[in-house]
Amino acid sequence: MSINDNLFVIIMASAIFYGTPLVFASLGELLAERSGVLNLGVEGMMLLGAVAAAWVSTNVGGPAIVVLPLAIVAAMIAAGLGASIHAFLTITLRVNQIISGLALTIFAGAAGLSSYLAGIWQLGQTPVKQQFGKIDVFGLTDVPVVGPILFHQTLLTYLSWVLVIAASFYLFRTRAGLHLRAVGESPQTADSVGISVSRYRYFHVIFGGSFAGIAGACFSLMIVPTWVDGMTAGQGWIALALVIFGFWRPDLTLLGAYLFGALSSLGLTLQARGIHISTALLTALPYVMTIVVLVVVSNTASRRQLGAPAALGKPYEREER
Amino acid sequence: MKAATAPAVAAFHVTKKFPGVIANEDVTFDVRVGEVHALLGENGAGKTTLSNILTGLYRPDEGWMEVAGIAVDFQSPRDAIAAGIGMVHQHFRLIPTFSVAENIALGTGHDPVGGRFDLKKIEERVAEISESFDLPVDPRAKIWQLSVGEQQRVEIIKVLYRDARVLIFDEPTAVLSPLESERLGVTLQTMARSGRSIVFISHKLGEVASIADRVTVLRHGRSVETTSENDVSALASLMVGRDVESVTRSAHAIVESSSRVGSVVLEIEELHAVGDRGLKALDGVSLTVRSGEIVGVAGVAGNGQRELVEILAGLRRKGSGSIRVDGESLENGSTRHPIRLGVSYVPQDRMGTGLAPDLTIAENMALKNFRRPPFARPPFIRQSVIDAQGRDLMEQFDVRAPSETTPTRRLSGGNVQKVLLAREMSGDPRVLVIASPSQGLDVGAVATVHQLLIDAAESGVGVLLVSEDLDEVLALSNRIAVMYEGRILDTFDRADADAQRIGLLMGGQLDVSA
Amino acid sequence: MSRFGFRLEPRSNLPKWLPWAVPVGSFLAALLVGAIVLFATGQNALSVYGRILDRAFLSEGAFTGTLISATPLLFTGLCAAVAFRIGFFNIGGEGQFVMGAIFGSGIALKLGADAPGILSVSAMVIFGAIGGGLWGLIPGILKAKFRTNEIITSLMLNYVAIVIATYLIFDSNSFWRELTGSGVVFPKGKILPTGSWWPNLDFGSIIVPFGFVLGMVIAGWLYVLQRKTRFGFEMRVVGGAPTTARYAGMKPARIVVAVAALSGALAGLGGAADIGNFRHVLDPKGLQQSGFGYAGIVVAALARLNPVAVVFVAVLLGGITNAGYALRGPDFPSGLVGVLQGLILFCTLGGEVLARYRITRSGRTPVGASVLEAS
Repeated sequence: MSINDNLFVIIMASAIFYGTPLVFASLGELLAERSGVLNLGVEGMMLLGAVAAAWVSTNVGGPAIVVLPLAIVAAMIAAGLGASIHAFLTITLRVNQIISGLALTIFAGAAGLSSYLAGIWQLGQTPVKQQFGKIDVFGLTDVPVVGPILFHQTLLTYLSWVLVIAASFYLFRTRAGLHLRAVGESPQTADSVGISVSRYRYFHVIFGGSFAGIAGACFSLMIVPTWVDGMTAGQGWIALALVIFGFWRPDLTLLGAYLFGALSSLGLTLQARGIHISTALLTALPYVMTIVVLVVVSNTASRRQLGAPAALGKPYEREER
Repeated sequence: MKAATAPAVAAFHVTKKFPGVIANEDVTFDVRVGEVHALLGENGAGKTTLSNILTGLYRPDEGWMEVAGIAVDFQSPRDAIAAGIGMVHQHFRLIPTFSVAENIALGTGHDPVGGRFDLKKIEERVAEISESFDLPVDPRAKIWQLSVGEQQRVEIIKVLYRDARVLIFDEPTAVLSPLESERLGVTLQTMARSGRSIVFISHKLGEVASIADRVTVLRHGRSVETTSENDVSALASLMVGRDVESVTRSAHAIVESSSRVGSVVLEIEELHAVGDRGLKALDGVSLTVRSGEIVGVAGVAGNGQRELVEILAGLRRKGSGSIRVDGESLENGSTRHPIRLGVSYVPQDRMGTGLAPDLTIAENMALKNFRRPPFARPPFIRQSVIDAQGRDLMEQFDVRAPSETTPTRRLSGGNVQKVLLAREMSGDPRVLVIASPSQGLDVGAVATVHQLLIDAAESGVGVLLVSEDLDEVLALSNRIAVMYEGRILDTFDRADADAQRIGLLMGGQLDVSA
Repeated sequence: MSRFGFRLEPRSNLPKWLPWAVPVGSFLAALLVGAIVLFATGQNALSVYGRILDRAFLSEGAFTGTLISATPLLFTGLCAAVAFRIGFFNIGGEGQFVMGAIFGSGIALKLGADAPGILSVSAMVIFGAIGGGLWGLIPGILKAKFRTNEIITSLMLNYVAIVIATYLIFDSNSFWRELTGSGVVFPKGKILPTGSWWPNLDFGSIIVPFGFVLGMVIAGWLYVLQRKTRFGFEMRVVGGAPTTARYAGMKPARIVVAVAALSGALAGLGGAADIGNFRHVLDPKGLQQSGFGYAGIVVAALARLNPVAVVFVAVLLGGITNAGYALRGPDFPSGLVGVLQGLILFCTLGGEVLARYRITRSGRTPVGASVLEAS
């Protein structure tokens, strides 16, 4: 036991714990961006998911095995609905993706619909009734080092791993994934071979958005776990950075999420150990690092090789004459 | 060919209107099984519209189509593909970061849900097709690694992979060297002999005459005649008709009379430069342009022409070598210095490089002189003076638009080109550099633009005309330089210009010293 | 074809009144949708709207409160409008606002209680602009030099700015922090000397904060800059066609950097104005919660990036925000302000397109863009 009571193990375990919502959120954004749609509404969609999950957990009776999946589904639907507004505006109406995404965050975010609904539903006075606790996988929790890090997490973490593997397989090993990447690279080409650009974009923006809902549920059902206004505290924006950080690849994005998770929990962990270091400045590190990475990869040629979808952010309009 | 067999694809009395223009009117045409059928016509004659109808991108307003004798009504390109009609686009529809096989597999077939798709199998099939039609290409190569000719082969295999019985080629030789074009012609005939039908869209008479079994001539959106004629001059008169003044003839007359060629205004010596990918683009170009003459640069796209004109405009930095305008050396990489020295530039990408689409016609015309009085009283601009200049130039250059405050993005291609020429000619330039001046313009506009270029030369400007259209270069230039792989292989006086020799040079087929 | 197969067709004749009708119509549509949301959640929409209108504009002193709320929005709105116009998507107004607040409050504290008011206030204006301008310069230079995407860099810098402000007050014994009295136990910022508090100008029945007047003057100046000067001309060209700008002898990179700094300076001024007119103290939590930077983008979008229109939109949204503050409590739904702002923006974005285009099912004969637009 004592071998697991060291700084490294604690930091790694909490990196995964706190990085889990980031994995969901950035994976969803990754899918949307792979189809060529930038969605700055992640933060708003996460809060919608968080509030929906909190409501289900607080108000629906029954065993955890029923309520918690239901809460996740509710979170996905709530966030997916938010994403569908963005999808309609940007894909069908070809509105500026940046402004539409920001509008979604303002509409749904900290001073918007999520807190409106929480107010109406009177959430946040008590912890949620059902939450995701850490589980002991195959009784391996006490295995030195890897036990607490890999085998003592919540179900949501394991779900995120499944999704990352599934998303990698989908993107690079299936025909639909090939089509998705084609739509993000060159919608003209995809259209000319009969791939429906708007169908792919709608699907991935909305489905990707629903992942942001799960990310929100991670906060209200796992990390906090109750409803607090604006509880995602800007993590939705980090998810956006992570997609770039991970070069639009699910596996690298997962690593990035854990790196961010480690940095944001590092200050607290160190303080608990009596090592004083400014938490504030430590939390700034991920943001600065993102900027540095962006500068390094901002050369267009290297960006393309690293996977940035060529048509990202550009509305598609079939050429006529 | 069995006379009883229904045509592979046929269009009957097809009419397609766009607001203000009739793109196709009562077009009837059919392609037999196993033939190469050319659609011949000038730019704007309706060839592209017709091919878009055949491939399901547009639906005709009137008329109908049949595939193998059965009436069809395509709702989308997908229907056309299903009916066995495939198109090889002029602008390739390929994704640079994908492999050849991935590009070819796009949009085809379905896998069981959750199943992985078998790229190996696709690669094998691609290799098979590539072999049987003599279209060599590596299925695993990424598109960006391929040459233009190879990319075209990928496009062709893409269509064959979908089991197309009818293949439509839209200006396939536009990007190819004469030798590659010849080779493509052989491929087309091979495919036809294998029982497929080929529609070959072109405005190049020579190619049409040598490749096609039958030719349908389109003029002003109508099908004029279908013939198995293969005499170039007969086809030419069908294509041009009598109602359009022959551009070539008028240009010829004026160039002949243009004997007022003066002193050297542009002198390029041993110019070297690298292109976007860091590869050598210009390899010692030397060229002079005198006042009052048109010097045409002929060549297949991608042989350094773009780099040459961009360096002259200051948009790109040169490596070594010198450029002098009226004896004064051009600063490297400055866009203001060429303007000051009187170098005017009409780019190939007119909307993206030449104009600000959201600004008005008048503002676009003032783009290069708004800094100076009378257009400015620093730090302010004088909108009324700018607008007045716009009105004047619009009249002088016959720009057709509601007013000088119309945004240029609302203009047609011909009027866009006139706005550009108006601006570039209005500052008394010494040199006019113009790239692909007639690309994408309709016949009438082409004639006007050519006339404007001749006028420019007559007024004493030295014109450097860069064009992939050899006919255009031959028609307008006093001297013709042939560019290949970043070098000027040879220069001809108009009188000694030998189209065949120029064609061979363009394809890199002649030794310079020969 | 799929049921997603819609396409847009441009309408041929656009009436002259359209630029006015779209925002007004969209605003009304947003109120309608908002009413449906309120109704669906058991609220009386009419009474809620009535109270907002009352507390925003009608009741005693409400309009002054609205102008105070509108002032930061006015500046961050101008910040976004100027940058977006040249295609520089600065969404870092938030961070630039915070840096303006840090610099502005810093200089006021430094000058101290003895400095004449006019000196303190002018110094705050200048330092606020410098603080925001420097912060805006970072994404500008990165974009111009390395072509780094400014959306993400400016966004990241928002958090860095907030972290800096938090550090100054909560995590260090900085110059900005109150280190005496209750400040020893509960971290908070030093109150600015009253001499540096920005004046309110009295126009009869309405009291107008100095910051708002300054913002109006700057909005007018920006309008002239954009429409009447050579620099403005270049900005318009760079915004729509950067390659063309280069070809015409302009220096797009330089213009991007200049506008990035200008845009940041405007947001920074907003931060200084917020402290000078309203907070009188560097308050990281309050700054973070108010989200003026993001709201500024809403303002700019609604004003169609026109600086003069920004003034009016800022007052409108400032009114809603102000009413939101004033009515905060158990009987007023929290989060309604964001919902309404978001709805207004959604409706405007959609309305703009629907006014210009018709949506038709695809698969029908495409009529194509008008021939004038074919090239």
